[in-house]
Amino acid sequence: MKLWLVFIASLLLSFTAKAAPMGFKDSWMTMGDFSKTYRELTANYALTPRDAIGVTSTYMQTNNYSQSQLNNELTYTRLVKRWNMPEAQANIWFIGGVGETTGNYFGGTKATVSPGIQADYETTRLYASANARIYVADGITNNVVSARTGFSFYEANYDETQPWLIVEARRMSMVSTQYEVTPMLRLIHNRFFIEAGANLHGQPRLSFMYVY
Amino acid sequence: MKKIFIATLLVVFFSPAFAVTSMKATVNGMVCAFCAQGIEKRISKMPATKAVYVDLKQKTVVVEPKEGMALDQKAIIEEVKDAGYDIVKVESVPKSVAELKAELVANK
Repeated sequence: MKLWLVFIASLLLSFTAKAAPMGFKDSWMTMGDFSKTYRELTANYALTPRDAIGVTSTYMQTNNYSQSQLNNELTYTRLVKRWNMPEAQANIWFIGGVGETTGNYFGGTKATVSPGIQADYETTRLYASANARIYVADGITNNVVSARTGFSFYEANYDETQPWLIVEARRMSMVSTQYEVTPMLRLIHNRFFIEAGANLHGQPRLSFMYVY
Repeated sequence: MKKIFIATLLVVFFSPAFAVTSMKATVNGMVCAFCAQGIEKRISKMPATKAVYVDLKQKTVVVEPKEGMALDQKAIIEEVKDAGYDIVKVESVPKSVAELKAELVANK
């Protein structure tokens, strides 16, 4: 029974969101992102203020379930550049993975690498980010690109809950040639970060982030 | 005699030796509570820290020392850097975190 509780708690703490992809020095971060076509679980540890290592499991499938692919990787996250401004912060991140991939549209298990880049800009009221990552294995190349923007309903202080409206456009080449647009409600309270919404086809999506 | 006793008590309890001096820092880049967790967590762990207050709206971090202990400003600046932010101004203020918090809240 306790194992189930730990498992469920781990999942709840692991749904991702694409804000800063690592925490502060010596912190652990768990992230996750769950929707019909894309599921991701990540945990990483910040070795320095700019470097984190971790593990990620990414599962993608087409809407009609005809194709699916699972990537299990060791990851490295690097804060390439940060701009700390009086009223804003901007970042450029490198996110890369090395591991193995399996899928139902190719045979066996293959080695995979997945370099990616993220840029973001945030004030206490506005948020914008762009993300691109490519998943490469022998004879297989998939990419995921996304852009997010949104605003906070009001400026909140450190110990208050802050609600945001975020809209994401995401394209996953393995899943579809179309962009998937998803409006989400984001809530931030201390070390909790949660996003919930549904894409324009009504498919629900849930993301969580937790740092400790 | 009674007056002298009361005066002595007042001098003892309100003398500068008993005043709290906190460190008030203005921090650039501090826009999100989720991301600023590191500042509070890292500074709270320092041995001389009694209390930490983070104010996102004023971009301010206030640190109060434990009684009889002195804050290491250099180490605090490093901790804020390790949390991913830049301190642009540091002031010593003869007030506790509770007093400064009340002041900052009143100024909003």
